[in-house]
Amino acid sequence: MKLYFSIFLALLSSVIVVFIMLPIAATIGLQFQDSEAFASALSDEAVWKSILLTYYAALLSTLIAVVFGTPLAYILARYSFPGRSFIEGIVDVPVVIPHTVAGIALLVVFGSNGLIGKFSPVKFVDALPGIVVAMLFVSVPLYINAAKEGFASIDVRLEHVARTLGSSPPRVFFTISLPLAIRHMAAGSIMAWARAISEFGAVVVIAYYPMIAPTLIYERYLSAGLSAARPVAVILILFSLFVFVVLRVLVRGGDVSESES
Amino acid sequence: MSLKVRAEKKLGKFSLDVDFSMEGGYCVVLGPTGAGKSLFLELIAGIIRPDRGWVRINGQDVTKLPPERRGVGFVPQDYALFPHMNVYRNIAYGLRGLEKGEMDRRVKEVAKKLGISHLLDRNPRTLSGGEKQRVALARALVIQPRIMLLDEPLSAVDLRTKEKLMDELKFVQSEFEVPVLHVTHDLIEAALLADEIAVMMDGRIVERGELRKLFSSKNEKVAEFLSARNLFEKLSSLL
Repeated sequence: MKLYFSIFLALLSSVIVVFIMLPIAATIGLQFQDSEAFASALSDEAVWKSILLTYYAALLSTLIAVVFGTPLAYILARYSFPGRSFIEGIVDVPVVIPHTVAGIALLVVFGSNGLIGKFSPVKFVDALPGIVVAMLFVSVPLYINAAKEGFASIDVRLEHVARTLGSSPPRVFFTISLPLAIRHMAAGSIMAWARAISEFGAVVVIAYYPMIAPTLIYERYLSAGLSAARPVAVILILFSLFVFVVLRVLVRGGDVSESES
Repeated sequence: MSLKVRAEKKLGKFSLDVDFSMEGGYCVVLGPTGAGKSLFLELIAGIIRPDRGWVRINGQDVTKLPPERRGVGFVPQDYALFPHMNVYRNIAYGLRGLEKGEMDRRVKEVAKKLGISHLLDRNPRTLSGGEKQRVALARALVIQPRIMLLDEPLSAVDLRTKEKLMDELKFVQSEFEVPVLHVTHDLIEAALLADEIAVMMDGRIVERGELRKLFSSKNEKVAEFLSARNLFEKLSSLL
């Protein structure tokens, strides 16, 4: 009976693993039958430019998420106040709205005639800042929720004791809360970064140019079909796999050193 | 040293309303779970502020002072050692601003007195319950507090360790010449440690004095809470 149950679990699980793996593996596999197109995409400057732009913009958006999201995560984890649930709800809004809608909403604010865009010396439409705000909008909930969970998991008595030992609230934050939540914050940053890299819908509305990799792939698909889009997609998949596998190993390396110390 | 508290604090449906004073020695606040004992210590430490009333330490009104300026040593339940620092850094945490040599001297001195010099490089996670308590005591004592506040310090250890740790708590009070305010729900702890016992129920100090006096309390709730005494009599009749 127990064996049957294990087989049952394994079967259902494999369906989902295959479902995720198959499109990715097939895309990569089929590409090797057309190595010429792959090689030409590899030497295409526009491809690398778009990939680097994607990673760079996502990095900027993640940095902004960390700087402004960490205090919010701490407040939400530590204090109860009227309207907290409302703010938590607002933080989750970008997760539940379609990303094209997010893009349009951002355009209303950051567009050339938008609420902020009208007065801002920084240009958002079809510019790097536009890409960054779109990425930030869709990815910041992931960071805030992870950091909030990190702060909430710290026993509040550690902070109380630190206070009685002569530390002001800022010092308690930087010497106790932050170091203890750093792993959650790191995991949240990676998730937010990954989410920002994968964003297309919101970005394409506010900043079609300069092209991030997902936009470039979409544009090549529309203009020249699957055979033109696929090599670029494969490069993006391989590059992303490489970056995130390395990050995972680094984070796990941190785990090992912590449990040994 | 003197500690005087006359304060009220409402938290939801619970209200703490205490009138308490002690002049040094070892005082145990005894009461059932949910009586407000931890809240009472947090009020003295400055972690929560009273809605009304005041807290005075050595005559100084500290009601409006934040915890970092009250000079109290606080050992919460389960000790709350900083898990990302080794024992040495845990103890040294409160000594920021001191010159490095002086800091080192004070950490080592308190560690020696409490017999934990060999643990200074260890991670708190690897310590036994008794060792954790000694580190938490050292961390609080090293700042030379005016009073030590201990919140159920013996609730996380087994009976044998408890016996040993009680001796240590007494030793701490006399060796460091610091008054101790210890809260617990455990009658044996109170009986064996306290110079004076205060009984707390439903957020109020309802009785205080020596153990014998408490047993003859006319307060029904106190009598009921202390009825554990009958259990001991039954136990001893079995032996």
